[in-house]
Amino acid sequence: MSSSPAIRPAPPLLVLLPALVFLPVLLVLPGLLHGGGWDLIGRFAWAALTPSLDPLVLGSVLNGLGVTVGMALLGWALSLVLGLGLGLISSRLLWRTLAGTSLPAEAIRRLLALPRAIHELIWGLLLLQLIGQRPAVAVVAIAIPYGALVARVISDLLDALPTAGLEALRAAGAPAPAALLTALGPPLLPGVISYGGYRLECALRSATLLGVFGLGGLGNELKLTLESLEFHQLWSGLWLLLAVMLSLETGIGVLRRRWSMPGRFGLAGDGSGGGSVGQRGREILLTLTLLVPVLVLVAGAMAVDPADLLHWQPLPPLAPQGWATALALPWAALVSDTLSLTLLAAGVAVGGAPLLLLLVAPWPWGRRLLQLLWAFGRLWPPPLTALLLLFVLQPGVITAALALGFHNLGILGRLLLEGSEATGPQVEQALLSAGTGARLALLYGRFSGLARSYLAYGAYRADVILRETVVVGLVAGSGLGSQLRESLSGFAWDQLVVLLAVYALLTLVGEDLSDRARQRLLGAA
Amino acid sequence: MSGPPPDPGNTFVPGAPPVLELRDVHVPGRNQPRLDGLSLRLSAGERVALLGPSGAGKSTLLAVANGLLEPRRGAVLWDGLPRARQPGRRRRQQGRIGTLWQDLRLIEELSVQQNLNAARLASWSWPQALLNLLMPLESEACAAVLRRLDLDPALLTQPVSALSGGQRQRVALARLLRQDPTLLLADEPLASLDPRLAEDLLQLLLRQAQAPRALLLSLHRPDLIAGFDRAIGLRQGRLVFDRPVAAISAEELRELYAGTATAAHGISG
Repeated sequence: MSSSPAIRPAPPLLVLLPALVFLPVLLVLPGLLHGGGWDLIGRFAWAALTPSLDPLVLGSVLNGLGVTVGMALLGWALSLVLGLGLGLISSRLLWRTLAGTSLPAEAIRRLLALPRAIHELIWGLLLLQLIGQRPAVAVVAIAIPYGALVARVISDLLDALPTAGLEALRAAGAPAPAALLTALGPPLLPGVISYGGYRLECALRSATLLGVFGLGGLGNELKLTLESLEFHQLWSGLWLLLAVMLSLETGIGVLRRRWSMPGRFGLAGDGSGGGSVGQRGREILLTLTLLVPVLVLVAGAMAVDPADLLHWQPLPPLAPQGWATALALPWAALVSDTLSLTLLAAGVAVGGAPLLLLLVAPWPWGRRLLQLLWAFGRLWPPPLTALLLLFVLQPGVITAALALGFHNLGILGRLLLEGSEATGPQVEQALLSAGTGARLALLYGRFSGLARSYLAYGAYRADVILRETVVVGLVAGSGLGSQLRESLSGFAWDQLVVLLAVYALLTLVGEDLSDRARQRLLGAA
Repeated sequence: MSGPPPDPGNTFVPGAPPVLELRDVHVPGRNQPRLDGLSLRLSAGERVALLGPSGAGKSTLLAVANGLLEPRRGAVLWDGLPRARQPGRRRRQQGRIGTLWQDLRLIEELSVQQNLNAARLASWSWPQALLNLLMPLESEACAAVLRRLDLDPALLTQPVSALSGGQRQRVALARLLRQDPTLLLADEPLASLDPRLAEDLLQLLLRQAQAPRALLLSLHRPDLIAGFDRAIGLRQGRLVFDRPVAAISAEELRELYAGTATAAHGISG
């Protein structure tokens, strides 16, 4: 190649670059296969078509599903309340208007980084050790990191709002609190509600995941039936969970469109949406009011008692010289394994979605099939995918990355499809009618306009994946997550403290990098 | 995936099948048919204007002509052949149909050169299509097309989003030329242009449409039909007239638009 001017990948090509990760993965994959287990995979797949319809099984599945949905709902509601409060007190604008300085906001933001950096699973397992098996544990485990995440989004949204209206009200003599509420409340609402709906979808996934680790609900049943190879019973649970998840996603989508809230690509950008009051405002208020009795009923049915949280169990005594063993852990290997796990899983998820969409582009049913596959990816907790993969693959970073990647592929795939439908068919149509093939027409016609916002969301997702590496920790040799699980089950509190500190540090650096990548991508648009 | 290379453009043979032929085409609509028993022929070298008030079925006719819309009844033939069943053949057939869209449909995020090359995707292999997204390909051919339209080849590296309105129109036309189709279709390409730009673009289009090519262009301004060989009048999905431009009277034009908001000298419909 001569030194021709400007070798620069154009947006549609950028979207495909993360998929390059499949090359090394496919190269080493044959070496990871072990003989046994294929018949198990076959039986698992066959059972999808023949789930158990035994009333006893269905009863227990429905019961578990109820608990999972309840956990999700309560954890979500609590996180919204927490997040709203914390978000307001970590807003620079609010402090500047009320107290003349934004310093307290900075301090609170720093403080909130910690609960945010630690995955809900770790919170859950820690609380489980401290408090014991109580229904409130899962709820609080979800609410802590979610609350901190919501707080960050709310304060960012608040501080990004134009302040002209606020200044006008203040200049006209309105007291600060009233001026804040009037000027910032209505424009803030669409972003908050849209993000809140998205968090509810996440909460359902988290609650299922927590169940897998023994915090109650359907997740536990899924894991037990998988481990005892009762695939027919497993699929009864999976199909029901799928039905609940898809109706929740559809319902939230309908409300989001009805109230014309910004989509999630919008959130990756400036988070602004046309805010207005009136009909829509009344509907939102009504929905929120209806939620309160529902939440109270759910809490009652699940026997969630906040007082449980106050009864701490005594910690087991520290082993002598625990700190020395903690420092002697193979830190370099643990950190590098965690990072490669993150990058591989992020590549599989971010690159896999557009690649698969391109592959099936010529077939009308291909897209439907992908949607189903992606729905299962979202639904199926990564540790269970990992268990399934372990039937045929050896444990290690790649196996863990495939499990984690598949889950996130489900989330990113759905988003990419929504985004590509929102870009409109015109350009793709023009290419098709000039004789371009279906795949290239999709690549040039739809991915061009989508590339930057999709990749920006991918950067955010990579940061989430780093946090999530702990959930596939049960696959041995997959970095900090594996070590964390080991130390937790061995009550090695000293190791745990150091591990959590390293983990938190890593995720905070990751968050910062992902924020910068996102700003660059969106700024260049 | 890539089949045999596409034909290098048919050379014009007298007595060859028409570039486009519609036979008794019906397209149903909600209240009345959008096209109702329409037949027409477009031979190589012919430049035909499509006239009619808004809602007459001009856009529907063009959508049928470029294969986007399959009629409920009737036949559409391109170079004497019906819509190909086999995907590769169908793509080559579509590759010979070029459309200038009213909204241009350029890819905003790509450079001018990448947009021009996008017109060749019908015949390009995957590696070529991907390389086009990485580095400038076939720069000479792209520059030549721009020069034909009095555009500066330095524009090639510009992102399309940085162009002026008039430049965008010409780049869209350049993309059409780069595709090198035999059938040129244009849906109200002059609608959003000021009179001078409209006249320029029309002259460019008319000049490109020589045998073996043929041009079918829908127009909202009957005063611009002078440069065409033939004009077709559509009303409520039916053919009102189809004859040489010189043989069309002002009376006929007035009747075509009678009772609609668009007068004979009308603005956009």
